[in-house]
Amino acid sequence: MLETLKRVFLLDLLDGLWVTFKTQRTSNISTEQYPKDRPKVGERYRGAPRLNINPDNGETLCIGCDLCAKACPENLIVVGTERNKETRRLDLTYFTYDLSRCMFCGLCEDACPVDALELTQDFEMASYTREGLIWDRQMLEEGPRPTRYTR
Amino acid sequence: MTNHLETSEMLLNMGPQHPSTHGVLRLVLKLDGERVKAVECVIGYLHRGVEKIGENRTYMQFAPYVDRMDYISAVSNGLGYCLAVEQLIGAEAPPRAQIVRVLFAELNRIASHLLWLGTSALDLGAMTALFYTMREREEVLKIFENYCGARLTTHAFRIGGLQYELHDTFEAETRAFSEMFKKRLDEYEKLLTKNPIWVERLKGVGILTAEECKSYAVSGPMLRAAGVNWDLRKAQPYSGYEQFDFEIPVLHGADSYDRYRIRIEEMRQSLRIIDQALERIPSGAIMAKVPKVLKPAPGEVYVSIEAPKGELGYYIVSDGSLHPYRLRVRPPSFVNLASLEKMAVGALVADVVAIIGTIDIVLGEVDR
Amino acid sequence: MSQDAKPAPVMATEAWEDGLSDLLHSTFNTADTTAILKRETFRGQAFATTAADAFHPVIAWLRDTQNFDYLVDLTAVDHPSDPLCFELVAILYSFASNRRIRIKTFFDAESKPASLTNLYEAANWLEREVFDMFGIQFEGHPNLKRILMPDDWQGHPLLKERSIVDMDQDWVQKHLGIESGQ
Repeated sequence: MLETLKRVFLLDLLDGLWVTFKTQRTSNISTEQYPKDRPKVGERYRGAPRLNINPDNGETLCIGCDLCAKACPENLIVVGTERNKETRRLDLTYFTYDLSRCMFCGLCEDACPVDALELTQDFEMASYTREGLIWDRQMLEEGPRPTRYTR
Repeated sequence: MTNHLETSEMLLNMGPQHPSTHGVLRLVLKLDGERVKAVECVIGYLHRGVEKIGENRTYMQFAPYVDRMDYISAVSNGLGYCLAVEQLIGAEAPPRAQIVRVLFAELNRIASHLLWLGTSALDLGAMTALFYTMREREEVLKIFENYCGARLTTHAFRIGGLQYELHDTFEAETRAFSEMFKKRLDEYEKLLTKNPIWVERLKGVGILTAEECKSYAVSGPMLRAAGVNWDLRKAQPYSGYEQFDFEIPVLHGADSYDRYRIRIEEMRQSLRIIDQALERIPSGAIMAKVPKVLKPAPGEVYVSIEAPKGELGYYIVSDGSLHPYRLRVRPPSFVNLASLEKMAVGALVADVVAIIGTIDIVLGEVDR
Repeated sequence: MSQDAKPAPVMATEAWEDGLSDLLHSTFNTADTTAILKRETFRGQAFATTAADAFHPVIAWLRDTQNFDYLVDLTAVDHPSDPLCFELVAILYSFASNRRIRIKTFFDAESKPASLTNLYEAANWLEREVFDMFGIQFEGHPNLKRILMPDDWQGHPLLKERSIVDMDQDWVQKHLGIESGQ
């Protein structure tokens, strides 16, 4: 009997409508206003790659061990090195990173023994061309420069 | 003189670009008026050859790819894959890693069911639920992002344990989510469970009995809605699930409405597991001793877990080299979807939408 | 990481010994026929290898008398260097005894194994996928056609002879207008 009355007066429906109504308060808005407000991403966010340099002398931290290239599932990292006759070490000659195939799994970052390669919190990596997504050493060291739109 | 209208069967193409087929599923419906006489699923639009990729990657390298099969429950996929490789090499994750894995897998189950609830309610015209479920799912994704740095394709676990230690705010975030979500679940139920339209659209639609479920090898919430009390977390516990006190919801209606109720109840049980797991995260190592270069001895294993959609299995054959010789994924969505060809017969076209909704498929996993 | 030539690696299995294993042996292996070739376990997972023509009967027997009423998965493995180049693997589960076993069989490229569709509905799509990926023809399947690949695709991608980048070039060029591969 009660059930029938409830159905006739659409009480169950009103219950649901009340839930909707409660959410109307403006303090409940959870939409992000991107790009006006840039979201703060997590500290461990895996975004644009960066090749770290030593802040004191500007030299690259990369030792050219090629471990990141070996770890990469998509084979998108190419490391070029040259044996330095004096220090008997490998000098980095070039470093390319093909972002168009990257899936940001973080395996290269895990593999790096000297924390030279890092996936940063930058997430604005769009480019107008496919070639623009193949980052060379300079781009990797300086980081992406996203277009700033102004009115 | 006969006085009936000439009727003829009609073939109707539904999809692959159809909002309620949840991706790129194409259905060829044979219709008699509004009644469905036969259905043929045409799939494969999202086929990327994950199994072939697996044969060409090392064991560690393949791990990110499994996230991309069922991309709304990437953590569960990763858990299954890690467990399978660990069994193949005879390793076991440390206790701390196991409990953390359970925590994330259950958070992921909630996220997956939330997306399912929002989208399948949207299919049936209940638009409001989508906004609410997405809002709550966002909280889960934020926890994922803070933990492992990605929201969707998480790559959260590694073979042998975890890569990342729990972040400092993890416990507070998860507790806050659990508190908040309990109330929100009641709100969803107020919105839908007794809503006459929702009930009318789902009750008695898409019936698949327990016997048929077994024959079609259907697993997950669909099976439990048909009265089969079977959940791999209880039947063959993995990753320390046997330590937790939770129940497996079982209903006997075997229809879409009961599948909906099962999933709602499963989210409640997941919260129970999360609350318990938060109390008992042991300290200690998070990574077992696993060689850097994985070269498992020749062998084969089949390991499966209870993913949000059903039994997700990995059958890995190793020939002793760096790459898997054969890597087969047993996708729950693919197998569950096969039963659509049975369930939809006799239903109305509009019911087909409801049925697809409650199977809960992800085309990334159906097609792999 | 030595690359020297080693004998083909073999799985280090143990014998599968329990009631079901004995029952399989006593039911199918008689004095003059051996239908169950091997009964092994690896990492605690039991599997039996049957003769090619015994694959279907063994599974039917398991389903009807031993309650293995759930076909979890059906898949294949390609061994191109072997004369019996295909391995068919069925993973069965029993709700009653909560156990999972694998039944395997080996056969050559010309053989057509009997379809399991008359036992399990789930075999329908799974066999279609095996056919699509390996080209194995199932005898008695009601609707054996490609499921994941396009209908006019040439070749079967999961065969070992197909490289990951060397797929159906003609199809890719015709429909996508690009060169296949990376």
